[in-house]
Amino acid sequence: MKRVEVKLSLAIVAPLLDVIKGLADDLGSDLATTVAPVDHDQDFQQAWRDELIGAQNADVKVLLALFNDEFFAEGVIAFDEANAEPIVRACAALRLRLRSHPLAQLGDEPLESGSVDLAGLEEPVRKAFLCYLFLATIQELIIQHLESNIIGS
Amino acid sequence: MAESQPYSDPEAQGDTALALEGMWRVVVLNDPVNLMSYVVMVFKKVLGFDEATARKHMMEVHERGRSVVWAGLREKAEAYMFTLQQWHLTTVLEPDETR
Repeated sequence: MKRVEVKLSLAIVAPLLDVIKGLADDLGSDLATTVAPVDHDQDFQQAWRDELIGAQNADVKVLLALFNDEFFAEGVIAFDEANAEPIVRACAALRLRLRSHPLAQLGDEPLESGSVDLAGLEEPVRKAFLCYLFLATIQELIIQHLESNIIGS
Repeated sequence: MAESQPYSDPEAQGDTALALEGMWRVVVLNDPVNLMSYVVMVFKKVLGFDEATARKHMMEVHERGRSVVWAGLREKAEAYMFTLQQWHLTTVLEPDETR
């Protein structure tokens, strides 16, 4: 089984985990994306939404499991075929949530281009933006290094 | 004793059935968050696109705000829509009036 280990700076990443856990709690009963009604039947629509929320929560749980004892002891996280897909999806969900909540004041253009003046941001927003970048980095790592091997096309 | 049934217009029922049986488009809409590489990967994985097709649709989403990624029967269109939503792409269904 192909496995990629990444060593992270505990000093930089550990403070972001509070943001990630807060987002995970927020998303417990809500979807990261707007879901257009697929059917006029309210029960069907609710079942559709509940299933998406369940899948989203399961993915976020896999992402949170990355930050285990090994991470806090050595700063290492590992991706493999069992966790890669849930983690890239969870990163997408959390990034969407960051955009719609703590980073909403920044607007979409700076988020898309990444041209944000970090020094000019208040601490909670700065931390949220760093988290936004961190989650994108995790996605890029998985997509670039593992896609052809463990995320079957 | 028969259970009472709510009134329903047979013509409207026919329209609904036709709509459900007709052809539908799965449309992915742009968002400013998901990475281009992520969208390409999702298109390859979920829709079975090759790299070039996935990139073409991703660029269409990015530049035009939307791309029709699949068209066909309602049931399968819903299945694609659900899976794309699981991957957090903003996806809608539209009746395909070109067929």
